[in-house]
Amino acid sequence: MADHVTAVVVDDHPVVRAGVAHWLSTEDVELVASGEDPGVAWTGPGATADVVVLDLHLGGVAPATSALRKLVEDGRKVVVYSMRADDEIVLQCLELGALSYLTKAEGADHLVGAVKAAAKGQSYTPPALAGALAGDRSETRPALSPRETEVLVEWFQSESKEFVAQRLNITLSTVNSHLERIRVKYAAIGRQAPTKAALVARAIQDGLIGLDDL
Amino acid sequence: MADLAVFATTRRVLLVVVFAVQLVLTLPPLVGHPHGPAAWIAYGLLTGVLGVVAGYVGAARAKVPPWLGAVVLTASVLATTGLPPAASFEPADWAFGLVGWYLLLVLVERPVVLVSALGAHVCFSVAWFAHAGNGDVGTAGVVILSGTSFQLGVLVITRVLLRDARLAAGAAAEHDAARTREALALQREQDLRAGFEGQLGALLPLLADLADEEVDVTDRATRLRCSVAAVQLRRLFAENDDVPDPLLHELTACVDVAERRGVVVSLAVSGTAIPVPTEVRRELVAPMARALAVASGRAKVSVLRTATEVRVAVVADAPQEVPEQEVPEAGGEPVQVTVETSVHSGLVRSEARWRTT
Repeated sequence: MADHVTAVVVDDHPVVRAGVAHWLSTEDVELVASGEDPGVAWTGPGATADVVVLDLHLGGVAPATSALRKLVEDGRKVVVYSMRADDEIVLQCLELGALSYLTKAEGADHLVGAVKAAAKGQSYTPPALAGALAGDRSETRPALSPRETEVLVEWFQSESKEFVAQRLNITLSTVNSHLERIRVKYAAIGRQAPTKAALVARAIQDGLIGLDDL
Repeated sequence: MADLAVFATTRRVLLVVVFAVQLVLTLPPLVGHPHGPAAWIAYGLLTGVLGVVAGYVGAARAKVPPWLGAVVLTASVLATTGLPPAASFEPADWAFGLVGWYLLLVLVERPVVLVSALGAHVCFSVAWFAHAGNGDVGTAGVVILSGTSFQLGVLVITRVLLRDARLAAGAAAEHDAARTREALALQREQDLRAGFEGQLGALLPLLADLADEEVDVTDRATRLRCSVAAVQLRRLFAENDDVPDPLLHELTACVDVAERRGVVVSLAVSGTAIPVPTEVRRELVAPMARALAVASGRAKVSVLRTATEVRVAVVADAPQEVPEQEVPEAGGEPVQVTVETSVHSGLVRSEARWRTT
């Protein structure tokens, strides 16, 4: 049961819904509902899905950040899946409590990885998101260690965790825990959200990060 | 400047004329006829004016004080009233012509004032002549006409000279400006040409080798050199474009060339655009351009702009062979760009970093 993951996809393009459904099905993620309106994540089978894959641009001009906020406030685990890659919107989604932000240029592996991580309440940091975090110049950004920054930058540049691990002479799991620590640091700042609080609590419990680091 | 030169020259000539007239033509009648003391005062005043003007000319001062005109007119009144009875315009009238020359000397750059003063002088002399009565009108007319017409003639010549000098000065200035513009355009073209030659890097030797048939286009190494040159050229074309984000523009240009060669390139940008000097941009893009030129398969280009630095990186499948050319970018002192290349797990990563602070 623990491996069985259910998801709901909100996207205004049928082809994207079909594509995501196919990608998820090959990795044993069940797509229980999909539609072009955030309503599918609140009603019927979609209401109980583990993960919500949310497109930020549902036909309208303004991004669907209010839909994201409502879902997150309800404790839902959301992976944002968007055309846009500008840093500002990416950071805003993290601030609201999305567990991951993927651009549509990023492929099946990242989407499946993000959905599976989100189902467990974990963050997932694909390269574009790493780039947005590395380029974050906001005053409220958390303090990252030089090593964390280097992992973030090299992951953004190479899109290969093996490459990052070999280059920095660390193990693959160390690369992952650096990325996780960074996300926990981000989760600990700004507005409160259940998903963010859970990320921080779990990281402290696992000894990934100390209270002093936050 | 032209005006001052004309006036200075005219005044110098007039100074000599007035000196000669006063000494040679007017002193004998002044001494030879029974003039009143006022005439001698007038002679003294005029000599004083002559001295002042000579001082100004000697000191290379272009203008003389206009109140000298009033002094001359005063001398005119004194000289006329000091004449022996019924001597106006007769040989004993030493001052009439001389005062005209003096007015010309001190007022040559003020034609309106000069003509007015000359008119006043003539009018007063004529009035004095009429007041005395019984003079020879014919002689008076000849004297007035010959004296003033000569002086007015000098004034007219001065104005004509002045106009010509102004035209000539204008033409000379225009000519100079044209020469300057021409020199500037030439210099700019040379700079541009030198700049392009400096940055053409591997292209010129490659073209020479191709022309001399020293290299073979079917050779893989030659084709690599060609693609390096193509990316360099494309980047050079993009360098002078006026765009909001020149760094990204140049990177996109290089990516475009690589994509034409069949390389699948993804470009990721993070952080907002900040101004990057052209030389720094050149050094930031160059390693990426070289790496893209030899890349095959897939490549990822990324630009990261943080608060303290700009990092341009390319990560591509490691090529079997790397062309030996590492031509340093010609011209220009080293700037703060550090380049690092490393190969791990089948990927080659080249990164250029520039610290903004």
